[in-house]
Amino acid sequence: MAMNNRGWIMSAAVVAVLILGSCSTEVKRIDVNQVRDISGTWNDTDSRLVSEEMIRDSLSAGWINRYSLSLRKAPVVIIGKIRNLSQEHINTNTFVNDLERAFVNSGRVDVVASSSERGDIRDERADMDLNAAEVTRKEMGKEAGADYMLMGTINTIIDASGSEQIRFYQVDLTLVSLADNRIVWTGQKKLKKDIKNAKFR
Amino acid sequence: MAISPDRAFGCDLPGRQLPGLLVLLAVFVLPGCATYSVGIAKVEHETSNRNLSAAFKSLDELKLTGADRMLYYLNKGILLRFQGDYAASNLQFESAKRLLEHLNAISVTEQTGSVVVNDTVKAYEGTGNEQYLIYAFKELNYLQSGNVDDAAVEARQFDIKQRLTAEKDPSAAYLSGAFVRYLNGMVYEEAGESDSARIDYSKAVDGYKAQSSITGLGVPADLKSDLDRLEGPRPRSNSIRAQKPAGAARQSTDAPDNGEVVFILQDGLGPTLAESIVRIVNPDPQNGAVILSVAVPRFIQRPVPVTRFELSGGSASASSELVDDVNAIARKSLEDRLPAITARAVARMVLKNAMARKIKNQNRDNESGGMLLSIVTDVGAIVSERADTRSWSLLPGNILMARLALPPGKHDLKVTYYNHAGNVLAVRDYDAVSVVAGRKVFVSDYYLGNSTTAKIPVVGVP
Repeated sequence: MAMNNRGWIMSAAVVAVLILGSCSTEVKRIDVNQVRDISGTWNDTDSRLVSEEMIRDSLSAGWINRYSLSLRKAPVVIIGKIRNLSQEHINTNTFVNDLERAFVNSGRVDVVASSSERGDIRDERADMDLNAAEVTRKEMGKEAGADYMLMGTINTIIDASGSEQIRFYQVDLTLVSLADNRIVWTGQKKLKKDIKNAKFR
Repeated sequence: MAISPDRAFGCDLPGRQLPGLLVLLAVFVLPGCATYSVGIAKVEHETSNRNLSAAFKSLDELKLTGADRMLYYLNKGILLRFQGDYAASNLQFESAKRLLEHLNAISVTEQTGSVVVNDTVKAYEGTGNEQYLIYAFKELNYLQSGNVDDAAVEARQFDIKQRLTAEKDPSAAYLSGAFVRYLNGMVYEEAGESDSARIDYSKAVDGYKAQSSITGLGVPADLKSDLDRLEGPRPRSNSIRAQKPAGAARQSTDAPDNGEVVFILQDGLGPTLAESIVRIVNPDPQNGAVILSVAVPRFIQRPVPVTRFELSGGSASASSELVDDVNAIARKSLEDRLPAITARAVARMVLKNAMARKIKNQNRDNESGGMLLSIVTDVGAIVSERADTRSWSLLPGNILMARLALPPGKHDLKVTYYNHAGNVLAVRDYDAVSVVAGRKVFVSDYYLGNSTTAKIPVVGVP
């Protein structure tokens, strides 16, 4: 039976919707803990594995108790530089912020603003001097000094040949006493990946 | 059950018509594809005139997508670098690197297309040296943004890249990336990694030696000094003693409290490729195409305007050294690739002739339609034969470098460009450049001159 004009238009519309629908960008929310490796380079899973290890190790190590028992207060930590000595551009803020959050939320370690954050705070305090009511004004020169600085490095070793690579990551974090340069804690996380790139596309 | 080609398209085309239709399609589509080197000439012209906004516009108008996407990233990265937008430039170069990783895998469709149609259907990946220079420009962009650690990341990535390239093509010793290694050494020194710096300086020295038969370049004197300095008072037996020429930049060893200005010039436009077409009249045109064509790329070197430059700050001055002869390496690279390109072109000619013969034989009985199809087939075979003339057009012909040790503080710098006759081409002033003790500050410029006036002829030999 011959299809009438309306039938043709409807069919064409359905086909057009099917074709054009596949051209649109697709976004799907996924769980943050879901492991999805796409290129084999450093990703959110690596960052999470590092932060989990570092948080567990740093909070269970003896340095907090030793400090608290001897001085009867919580140690104060400042976040220093985590040097990226790897072959990838790695954002270290993700796991460092996780660690900072764990310190603060544990109630056992105080964290002070880093050198890059201090500028804004001092600007605000200077602004208060001029504009804030006296009872709410915060004075200069009363910042908490840090006892320890968190420092670290990310190193990689890459063994590559043809379309296969072994990537080894080592993240080392240390807490150094600002009073006498003693290292009171070191944390380490190693990750290793075997990456085989497609030979055909 | 085997599916015939005409059924595969989901319609009932008679078998004899399908090849003809494909050829017809090629006739209408391919003439619109002017060679890349002709299309990019406007971008080069605007860039030479330092009219970067017009160059950006012309580049966008080229619509370099699909197989040409890499060329868009590379040229845009250079234009943004010339504009001083280093972060945006690095985004383009990073896109190029990601695309390159993707293109490492072989595409069967593209490989087949390069034998059936022409080489331009293959996605452009860049030559070995072009791929190396992505790392160099990214490093420079980071250094000029004051981001040494990220520059060092690029240096480490380059080490793997160069290793894999050498593994893939061990005979191409000239693809040593000597200039990038030299730059890497400086990056590592800035990052405080003197052992890595020493290793890369050493590899750079070896690299320059490996290239010397092609470029005619020796090892830059400043590089020799760097290597000697890091190897300490008792250099290794295979190290090179510095023979620093008069006027060469002083090193930080000369005055430990000094800083150093490193000035890098992208000099002229790198080579372009033109199309050489060989056309032969088929002695048996009834059984194949009337004209048999083979198109291959041909190297066109453009003039490099600046022979040397002088960098001065106060009473101190330094002369430039040629640190990367991009032209010479590109020429050698094409020479190495040409046998394979020619073999593919000849295979295409044979294949297209066979297709033409088949179409003509199948349509001998159909007088008027058959003649039309024969003409279309012949024209299609001719116009579809194009050489791949794509290259990273905005690369410099040469890279020159001068290094000037200066005491800490703000310095007004003057850079004077000279041509081969010793005439001054241009003078550039850089005010209040901040020099820090024991550190390097990187400054760069480009001078393309009127190099785009070089004609790009299409050579046809009937």
